[in-house]
Parts: sequence; structure tokens; C-alpha cells
Amino acid sequence: MITLSNLSKIFRTELIETHALRDVSLQVNEGEFAALTGPSGSGKSTLLNILGTLENFDSGDYLLDGTSVQGLSDAALSRLRNEKIGFIFQSFNLIKDFSIYDNIELPLRYRGLKASERKQRIEQALELVGLHARRDYLPGQLSGGQQQRVAIARAIAGEPRILLADEPTGNLDSLMARQVMELLEKINQQGCTILMVTHDPDQARRAGRNIQIVDGQLHDSTLYEPLSAQSA
Amino acid sequence: MEQFIYYIRISLLSIKRAPLPYALTIFILSVGLGVFFANATFYYQLNSDPLPHKSDKLFFPMTLIVPHDCNDCLPPRILSYSNVQKLSSSDIPSAKAAMYSANGYARLHAEQPPVPVTLRITQRDFFSMFDVPLRHGSVWPDDNARDEVLLSRAMALKLFGRINVIGEQLLLDDRYFSVIGVLDHWQMLPRLYDANGRNHLSPGEDIFLPLETGYDLNYQSRTNSRTFDQTDYRKLSTEGRTGARHMLQYWVQLDTPAQQQAYRQFMLNLANAEKAAGRHPSPINNQLIAMADIVDYFGDDPGDIKAFALVTLLFLLVCLFNASHLSLNRYLSNQYEFSLRRALGASRSQLQQQMLADVLIMAAFTLVGALLTGYACIQLMNQLLPNNSLFSHWNLTLLLSLLTITFACSYLVTLYPSLRASFGNLNQQLKE
Repeated sequence: MITLSNLSKIFRTELIETHALRDVSLQVNEGEFAALTGPSGSGKSTLLNILGTLENFDSGDYLLDGTSVQGLSDAALSRLRNEKIGFIFQSFNLIKDFSIYDNIELPLRYRGLKASERKQRIEQALELVGLHARRDYLPGQLSGGQQQRVAIARAIAGEPRILLADEPTGNLDSLMARQVMELLEKINQQGCTILMVTHDPDQARRAGRNIQIVDGQLHDSTLYEPLSAQSA
Repeated sequence: MEQFIYYIRISLLSIKRAPLPYALTIFILSVGLGVFFANATFYYQLNSDPLPHKSDKLFFPMTLIVPHDCNDCLPPRILSYSNVQKLSSSDIPSAKAAMYSANGYARLHAEQPPVPVTLRITQRDFFSMFDVPLRHGSVWPDDNARDEVLLSRAMALKLFGRINVIGEQLLLDDRYFSVIGVLDHWQMLPRLYDANGRNHLSPGEDIFLPLETGYDLNYQSRTNSRTFDQTDYRKLSTEGRTGARHMLQYWVQLDTPAQQQAYRQFMLNLANAEKAAGRHPSPINNQLIAMADIVDYFGDDPGDIKAFALVTLLFLLVCLFNASHLSLNRYLSNQYEFSLRRALGASRSQLQQQMLADVLIMAAFTLVGALLTGYACIQLMNQLLPNNSLFSHWNLTLLLSLLTITFACSYLVTLYPSLRASFGNLNQQLKE
């Protein structure tokens, strides 16, 4: 599903060049739940942003469903982000003066879906994250965990094939973090591919695969036994 | 449509987030546009063509046939009675009218206090040439002297308290006249038939009197007049008709280029004949100026209004610059939201549609502000320059122009900031 070949990314300033990613090659298959781990500044968020087409890369290639994203127009990239990719950010990135419903509706608006279909998808997503009763609340009226669940609802309402989560539990306490992880696992079980940046080894272990990045290079790619198999 | 309403709702929400900078942007734009619009109103009205369908067919002939030798003189803007007779002797024009204006006093009977009035002393073709609408009655059947007048609608109301006063008598100075016609609402702006001496910016006359009667009764011109010989100006009915007493404006209607060429040739032949007869000592200098060009020819363009128009245009540019700066700050503070929308799948063209909604809302607020400011400025200018007050009204063309300019300015003020906000590093902006 995702194929990276010798992908490199360099951040340049007037004085220095920083190699954020060096010759990263990676294959992620449909339905995988992969954790991107590594020390701070290792390049994992950069990799996630490139996978989400939020950032360009300097060399190499990135194929999504067999199609290279390099050279795609702004409109094509926007459509790709809108239809295939869902984002979950560490700081939720909800619009403060939009209701929960309006926040979830945002990506669906740009897809040109009819109002009835938008409504159906939003209600399904709210049902899944357990916030149906709070659809008219503003983000500020919810707890951090609830806000992240809204962000997850926004990400999955468009029924994306890939969910990119950048430290989704980084701003949450352990209880809420566990709830969010359970939610992500549930979404993954429904067939959605998930790539999640995390610093938490426990969360990384809950993912089926750990992709470790050190100094911009893919250091190790460990396949864990699924949690269900471990517990059995 | 539903999506557009959504964009409008988002724009309004965005305004609610920071109403003060937005209000300041609208205020600056409104002041700039209002001041510009007020001045543009005067400029437009002063330069408008009151008879667009025939302003290139009505001509003002001038000739240097004067008993005075001058090598580099321009032909006088006014003609003598005898020159008008000579210029009228041609059948080439489809209409022709000589005229001048005078002052008088009118009342219904001798016991009433007299009302000061302005007179246009002219010939019957005047009414058809300048499309003067008649509400009641008719014009004179010919150009002979007669004790018959036509009244403006306002003068009929003022003197009689009603409009249909055909057959009524009025006392003009010390002579009774019958009213044979009453004009409908009519205010030719600018009154280009009276352009010499910048009289075209003043209101129209109250009473219309036959030219021959005006001469018979010794009515003097209240504007331009000049005597090139010993003619006694107090003896208009006799010496005024034969001597070189110049005070008549003369207009001819020449509908086709062939007619215009033929009349030019006629004027040249006339000047040659006058020269041969010893009545034209100066070099031949004839002019035939179309009504559309008459103000330019006389060089009576209102320079103060033009200079002020330039200043207000510069002021508008400064306001646009300031409003753009404020708008840029507002958009950059919303850049996070732009980036979030792009991350969630909005293309730049979709963001530009959002910008159009922003432009529409800004244009709507600014239009109201500009109209209020413009109205206030016009009232102020009417106080300061009362002579120009006739030219301070708005019409549909002006209002549509303001709407267009307001939209264009709102677009300009929004364009660059929104483009700035929709470009840039998404990832970086989402972290900020």
C-alpha cells in the first residue's frame, strides 16, 4: 500500500543542512498497525508528514497504492489527503469556535458529499468514539481525551484507508491514552491501516509493527506478535 | 449554493474572532472609497454627456467676422445679431437656434411683488435641438417676435401654484405675456448649450422668450457680451441688430459628416465674401465645435475638481495599502486554520472560494460604509462649493460603479493576504 524507496529529506537554512531522513525504504501493507518510534529529532514526525503529503521530500520515491505522489498537482494532493488519509494530531487541531459536528464535517465538506451523507458519516463516527450526545458542544467544553476522540472521529468520518497519528496520546493522561489506543485498535480491526508516532514503548508494543528511526535512518523494523495472540 | 452559504458562515465566524481589526479594515476602506466616490460623483456629473445621442451632431459655429483687425485672435465665443443672420441663411443645418440669457422680474399682476427670474431668449428650434420636454402647450410656431413665453415647471408652480397654465397671462417686467407652454421636469446637466463662460454648471432658466422679442424689449445679456464698434448697447432693437454688438450663442444641428463638411464650406465662403466686402479685416478663422468637445475647446474644465479627484485617488490608494496590511495580519493570524483545512483536503482553489465569500462580506460592509461616507462628503462639499451642488446626485450608473470599485478593492485587500495564508509549510503552521 505504502512504498518508500530511498527517500531523503533535508532541511536547509542559510548556514546548515540537516538530513532529517536518509535513504529510507519502507513497505507498509494494507491493514497494518505500525508504530514509528525513535528519539526526539530522529525524523519520525517528518516521515509521517511526508506520508501524509504535508511535506515534500528531496529524493527517492513515495508510492501510494502504486502511484507516485511526486509531481502531483495541488488539487490531486488535496484530493488524496481528503479521500485516502486521515490525520490525528498530538494537539488535536480542532477549530475552537466550531461545534464538534462542524469540526468532523470539515473534510467531508471538501469532498463535496451531500448533506445527508455527511450527516450519516458524522453520526457513525460520533457513535464509534462515543460522543454522539455532545455533537453540539464546542471543543473547549470537552476534556483532552474527548477532544482527541473528536479528532479521531474527524479522521475516520471520511473512511480513509490510512490513518496517520502523530503522538495521539502525547497530551493525555494514562486513562485517556488507553481509551484512545483502544479506539485506534478498533479502527485498525475494521481494516484501516494505521501509522502512529509514539514515544511510549507500551503503545509501540500494542501496534503490530515497530518501525524505529534513528538519525533519519530506518534502524529496525520489528514485527510484534499481535496483542490478542500474546494474551492467548 | 449550500457550500457557498457554508463559506459565508465561516467568514462571519472568522470576523467574530477578531472584530476590531476587521472593523478597522472596513472603516479605512469605507473612508477611502467614500471620499473618492464623493469626488468621483462631481467629476462624473461634470464630465457627463447630457445628450449622448446627438452631442456629436450639435455644433457651435464661431467666426472672426468683426470690424477689427487682429492677426492672432480667436473667433469670439459670441456672435452679433447680423452674423447670426448670415450664418442662419444656410439651409444645411436641420435645426438652428440663436440664444442668450437675461435677467427679469415676473409676477401675475402689477400689485404683486415681483419675483426675480432668469430668461433664456431664444428661437423655436432650441427646444427640439436640446430635447427639452414639454408638459403642456407648444413652442412658438416661428421665430418672429411675439408676447408669448414658455415656463419651466418650477416657475409655473411658483407663479401659479399649478402646472397647466396655458393661456394664462404673466407680467414680465412691465409687459404682459401669454403662457403657451410649460416644460416638464428638465435639468440638462451640464448645460452645454451655455458653456461659454462656464455657465454650463449653473441651473437652467425659468422663462423662455422669443429672440426677436428679447431684442425688441432691449433685454441685455446677463453673461458674455462684447461690442466691436460704436453700437449703443441700450438700443438693441435697432443698433443691436445691425452693429457689432456680440452676445449671441448660436447652435446648429448637422446630422451627417456631409452636412458638417458642407456647413464648414459655407462658413468659409461666408468669411471670404465678408472679406471681399471689406467687413472682415482679420485673417479668416472659423470654428465649428461639436457640443461633445465644447468644454475642452473653451478650456473651462473645472480644474479644482480634477485636482481634487487626483488627491482622493491617492488617498484611496493609501487606504487600500493600510487595509491590505491589516487584512494580511488577520489572515496570518488565521493561517493555522488555513493549513488545517488544507491538511484535511481543501485545495487552494477551494480556499480561494472561501476567500471570495470573505470578499463579498467585506464588500457589503464597505459599500454601506462608503455610501454613508460619500453622502457625508457630498453634503460637506455642497456647503463648501455650493456652485457644484447640482452635480452631487447619484444615479444607477454611479452606484453600480461604486459597487464594482468596492468589490474590486475588497478583492485586492483580500487577495494577497489570502494567497499568503494558503501557501507555506503545512506541517510548520499546524505545529504553531
